[in-house]
Amino acid sequence: MKYVALVIPLLFLALFCYALYRKVKLYDCFTEGVKEAVPLVLSLFPYLAAILMLSELFERSGLSGYLTSALSPVFGALGIPPELSKLVLLKPFSGSGSTALLSEILGTYGADSYIARCACVSYGSSETVFYILAVYFAGVKRKKPLLPVLISLFANFAAIVLGCFLCRFL
Amino acid sequence: MLSAALFLFSDPDGFLSSLLAGGEKAAALSLSLLAVYCVWLGFFKVMEKSGLAGKLANGVYPLAKRLFRSNDKEAVYLAGCNLSANFLGLPGAPTPLGKKAVEKFCAASNHYAADMLFVLNATSLQLLPTTVIALRTAAGSALAADIFLPTLIATLFSTLLGGLLVALTGRRK
Repeated sequence: MKYVALVIPLLFLALFCYALYRKVKLYDCFTEGVKEAVPLVLSLFPYLAAILMLSELFERSGLSGYLTSALSPVFGALGIPPELSKLVLLKPFSGSGSTALLSEILGTYGADSYIARCACVSYGSSETVFYILAVYFAGVKRKKPLLPVLISLFANFAAIVLGCFLCRFL
Repeated sequence: MLSAALFLFSDPDGFLSSLLAGGEKAAALSLSLLAVYCVWLGFFKVMEKSGLAGKLANGVYPLAKRLFRSNDKEAVYLAGCNLSANFLGLPGAPTPLGKKAVEKFCAASNHYAADMLFVLNATSLQLLPTTVIALRTAAGSALAADIFLPTLIATLFSTLLGGLLVALTGRRK
């Protein structure tokens, strides 16, 4: 898996060589692109702050804890180990939170245990849906994209169920 | 989410500190996003100016046009790049691209395309779950990369499912 690390440097190198060959002013051009980053982040910030505050509330108020214990039997019936229900619930909201949780699970159950493998697959096959929502739709004038969010959550959940199932054989 | 606020009646002291923690995270995240955007937006600007972007756009266009039902060449190209960067797991690269594409789609009030792109991102196909592999190696796994196959299959499934659902619900309107 070492060669993967080469992809990004090679990509940059290839592009810069090509740009020089096409006689592009490399430095000016690069900084021009960087300049666009500041307004982009500024336009994102208010939405990010609001969403992250809400997810923090969700987490700390204990609501997510109640949901976790309520949903564990449902998850169990679908073949998701109950130890993972917190991870499954947390992942759509917080990337860093679920990363921390995943390493905790790996430490507790051992990296090669069935539960840890399921946790890894669940983590890898779902995305931080609400974070992507906050970033992509920030500042865009339109009605709430409720349907795509539901579809994403559903598809992610289906992927987790399938992933845990696959972990029994692969 | 509002129900979360209700629960705080049981723990009013925690309310403000939770909000502050959220704000803190947002500030930290914005800073790291800024760093990521600087690198990749610089990269893409060079790509654009060197004419490489245009060539790639021509290649991706016929396929992506159908997927997003859009004739906006630039937006479709951005979306296509976003998806391939996602697939390869280039850290941070997909976000500025996807953001720009969604803005363009929405400006043309092509909500279907924006929804499709969002769902494809949110169910993102993962070729190499790099974070997971790193974490497992750190935890002393004998074969850290062996979760790669189930993850790939599971994300492939969720991406197809998500895309299909968007296509179906989009058509009904």
